[in-house]
Amino acid sequence: MTAALYAEWTKLRTVAGPFWLVALAAVLTTALSAAAAGAVTCAGAGCGVDAPMVALTGVQLGQAVVAVLAVMVVGDEYRTGMIRTTLAATPSRAVLLGAKSVVVAGATLAAAVPGVLGAWLAGRLIMPGRGFTAAHGYAPLSLTDGGTLRAFAGAALYLTLVALLSLGIAAAVRDAPTGVGVVLGVLYLAPILVAVVSDPDWERRLRQIMPSDAGSAILHTIDLPALPIGPWPGLGVLALWSAGALLLGGLLLRLRDA
Amino acid sequence: MIGLIRAELTKFRSVRGWLIGCGIAAVLMVLLAVVAAAGTDARVGGPGARGALPRASDGTPVLDGFTFLQQPLDGDGTLTVRVPSLTGVALRPPTPGDSVPDEQEQATPEPWAKAGLIIKAGTTSGSAYTAVMVTGSHGVRMQHDFIHDLAGPTDARWLRLVRSGGTVTAYASSDGAAWTTVGSAPLATGAMSAGIFVATPPHQEYEQFLGGTSVIGGGAIATGTFDNLTAAGIGAGGDWNLVSVGADDSPNRPESTSTRNGDTFVLRGGGDIAPVDGGTGPKLEQLLSGGFMALTVLAVLGVLFVTTEFRRGMVRTTFAATPSRVRVLAAKSVVLGAVTFAVGLVASTAALLVGTAIRGSNHYPADALTQVRIVVGTAALIAVATVLALAIGTILRRGAGAVAAVVVLITLPYILSAAAVLPAATADWVLRITPAAAFAVQQTVPEWPQVDQAYTPAFGFFPLPAWGGFAVLCGWTAVALVIAAALLRRRDA
Amino acid sequence: MEATIEVNDLRKAYGSTVALDGMTFTVAPGRVTAFVGPNGAGKSTTMRVVLGLDRVDAGTALVGGRPYRSLRTPLRHVGALLDASALHPARSGRDHLLWQAHSQGLRGQRVDEVLKLTGLADVGRRRAGGYSLGMRQRLGVAGALLGDPPVLMLDEPFNGLDPEGIRWMRGFLRALAAEGRAVLVSSHLMSELQDTAGHLVVVGRGKVVADTSVADLIAAASSDRVTLRTVARTEAMTALARVGATVAVTERDTLTVDGLPADRVVTVLSEAGVPFSEIAAHRATLEEAYMELTKDAVEFRATEVAR
Repeated sequence: MTAALYAEWTKLRTVAGPFWLVALAAVLTTALSAAAAGAVTCAGAGCGVDAPMVALTGVQLGQAVVAVLAVMVVGDEYRTGMIRTTLAATPSRAVLLGAKSVVVAGATLAAAVPGVLGAWLAGRLIMPGRGFTAAHGYAPLSLTDGGTLRAFAGAALYLTLVALLSLGIAAAVRDAPTGVGVVLGVLYLAPILVAVVSDPDWERRLRQIMPSDAGSAILHTIDLPALPIGPWPGLGVLALWSAGALLLGGLLLRLRDA
Repeated sequence: MIGLIRAELTKFRSVRGWLIGCGIAAVLMVLLAVVAAAGTDARVGGPGARGALPRASDGTPVLDGFTFLQQPLDGDGTLTVRVPSLTGVALRPPTPGDSVPDEQEQATPEPWAKAGLIIKAGTTSGSAYTAVMVTGSHGVRMQHDFIHDLAGPTDARWLRLVRSGGTVTAYASSDGAAWTTVGSAPLATGAMSAGIFVATPPHQEYEQFLGGTSVIGGGAIATGTFDNLTAAGIGAGGDWNLVSVGADDSPNRPESTSTRNGDTFVLRGGGDIAPVDGGTGPKLEQLLSGGFMALTVLAVLGVLFVTTEFRRGMVRTTFAATPSRVRVLAAKSVVLGAVTFAVGLVASTAALLVGTAIRGSNHYPADALTQVRIVVGTAALIAVATVLALAIGTILRRGAGAVAAVVVLITLPYILSAAAVLPAATADWVLRITPAAAFAVQQTVPEWPQVDQAYTPAFGFFPLPAWGGFAVLCGWTAVALVIAAALLRRRDA
Repeated sequence: MEATIEVNDLRKAYGSTVALDGMTFTVAPGRVTAFVGPNGAGKSTTMRVVLGLDRVDAGTALVGGRPYRSLRTPLRHVGALLDASALHPARSGRDHLLWQAHSQGLRGQRVDEVLKLTGLADVGRRRAGGYSLGMRQRLGVAGALLGDPPVLMLDEPFNGLDPEGIRWMRGFLRALAAEGRAVLVSSHLMSELQDTAGHLVVVGRGKVVADTSVADLIAAASSDRVTLRTVARTEAMTALARVGATVAVTERDTLTVDGLPADRVVTVLSEAGVPFSEIAAHRATLEEAYMELTKDAVEFRATEVAR
């Protein structure tokens, strides 16, 4: 496992693509967060805006880049045919996928941590000027606040789990563009479905089981009891999706000809 | 060029996976229509669920309920009145044991509280009418046939309706001496009811927050004071008779009351005379929300259609056969656009038919032309978006990045706007400048200037008209194609 | 561990297409085994099965007595070159070897060794995407040698090599075998392996057609064929035909004699007093022997289909 891990790390760092994607994910996460923080206003006390969540809007965009990063780790090997060399070097599919998961998770965290910290900084600097003041019941975003910390740390975990989900799907479909299409389809489907389904029971159930919706429960800091699923259980649902995707990808990797 | 197009068509249809992709796109679209239809809550219900609503002459479902103090008017006549005050305030939700709902303190009156003169073909809900009124914050208006609304002076308090033959003309004045014409409208001759009225739509507050919207609604009551009422042409000595028109339409409506103190009348009541608010109920275009899935699948195909050529070096064969690379790009665009338009057309039609079969017509009504527009528009949107994917694939030459770019450009702005993540004003801007503007082709619910509701993307209202939004997507695609063509010419194959 | 590849009764079908139909052979150490057959005969599939890349419907493939997927550091047991172009174009050749080395717990030092060994030391840090096909083949061989494995398996290593490269590759393969390694080299061009392979596994349509040493095969194909140059053509034909040989005229003064060894031909002609200027025992080329074999395979298939 250590050797396979070392090999995957060498692979990742010896081409420029992943580096740029990590940088892009961090920058876009921060940029969209800053834009959202600048767009939202709080007119008065009790305006009901979840300030940390606004400051984490960029996660919606960052997840697309992270998905590309994770999908490429597998997709590039199939595109070039290098997967055969890889499997000849590491015949155990489980070990290989495990090593790739660790490397992808690491790379994603390398993007997510600065991206999320940037989002926090943007929110902290911009939002007080948009009415999120002490007078309206908002303290500046602080990572020492339990809920805020959960949201921001959770955002990094959310992105990591999205990357693992993408990795599993990529291993299953073996083609990078198709993999990205499937991942983004799954991630962006939920909000659209929720928008058209008006039956509250359906909506609640959808929000409980769709990976992006359930997973983003971790980003909420207010009105938690009203959420269809709690922050940590929600993240758990996403983790189950990721685990399922990796399991499927690993199984297909084992069963299919390379 | 024809030969080139045929060559590209052969390339497309000879890859089995791409044909399967087209099938998956169509199936997903129908599947989502089924989910959307089955997941519609009958209790939330649209106009259909509220019973048979009256219709305007063009079929628009309307509300017609108001407090009417009237006398018969059989022929020509002139009504004049002064409305010194009009207030429209929200009511607190009724608490058990309270017979009379409390009025809430309200800084600004209900904007579309109405008080004025009306001539109406009887007192049944939905009958033809012409009215002139002062409003909470929209000045004097003349309205007829529910959907027509003309603005008059903003500060006038004197109102006059003149019925002459088949025409009713409305006037307004600030002093009762100098009159300005607001407008005139046809109204059938014969026996009618004429008099003064008040109405106010329910109080509504739209709040948009991250991840959702809320509509806080509650009953509202309008209080209109009238004096200097004169009615030429109405039978002398007749009694003013209070009618609560369409009392059953909205169960939360406060009771209509009328008090007379000398020549001063005070009418109180709720209700409205206007098109219904279509933003919150089920909408026909929800059945086409699978367009996003179809679009994502087909965008993958669009990207693969070009990136696979680069990947396999096949592009050299292609360019050897057709040295003009721009023509190759054009042929690819034409083939891809045509194929995906056909797929989109079949998928949208099927989605609409299947969805309607499941859900019934329990949605804001859309006439045949609108239905054709949303189906053809969705197909065109999918086709152009797929060509955009092709162009971005050509520019980036990396399939995964291109797919992500297309989805992020088209789907993410829509989600951020329509799923109410962004504030309404920002959402409007996002839907003006990003390719997601094209989803305006799916909007079926019209915007009424005389109805106060949240005309925001979260409620299905797009800032641009259907074809304007579509043009934005076309603009993006055109620019991307030009860049792609320039890069194709400059780069080595 | 033993330096062998044992392939036993491999069967695999893609839908109705039979790729492997009872493929069985063993690759022994200390010699180069040529794995030849026409395109689509199942050579690459067999190699992928040996490497655990493709699954089989039946049969086993063992490397040093163990299935490939059970090896923990497989590149130390088997070095393989499948598709030399299967690399990330943006990664340098050295980095391409580096990650493989790391996967086996090897260090970068070993990478530089194999780069030098394959003559790539100067270009190792360049983008692999810019390599010529010949350089990629060398890089592939370098990758196969990384783990210093006792077994080597190379799929079409001569593809894209210039004459100089072909000569280098032949010498290299011979040297590797001389070190006691088992070397399996596939090719569809027999001539490339003329002086390199000691053993031959000829396949057609997913099964082994011949499994023999190169010397035996050539001897068998050569049979008793003698080329005879003489001015007295008619006399020679009469004399040889009388003792049962088949004689054919190939040129104006040249005869081909089948069915008699060269020394018998000399005796017969001397006894009959026929003059001759040159007599040579014909030695078939490997190419001819191979064509002979695969031709049979083709005919066999044709009749099978007709039935």
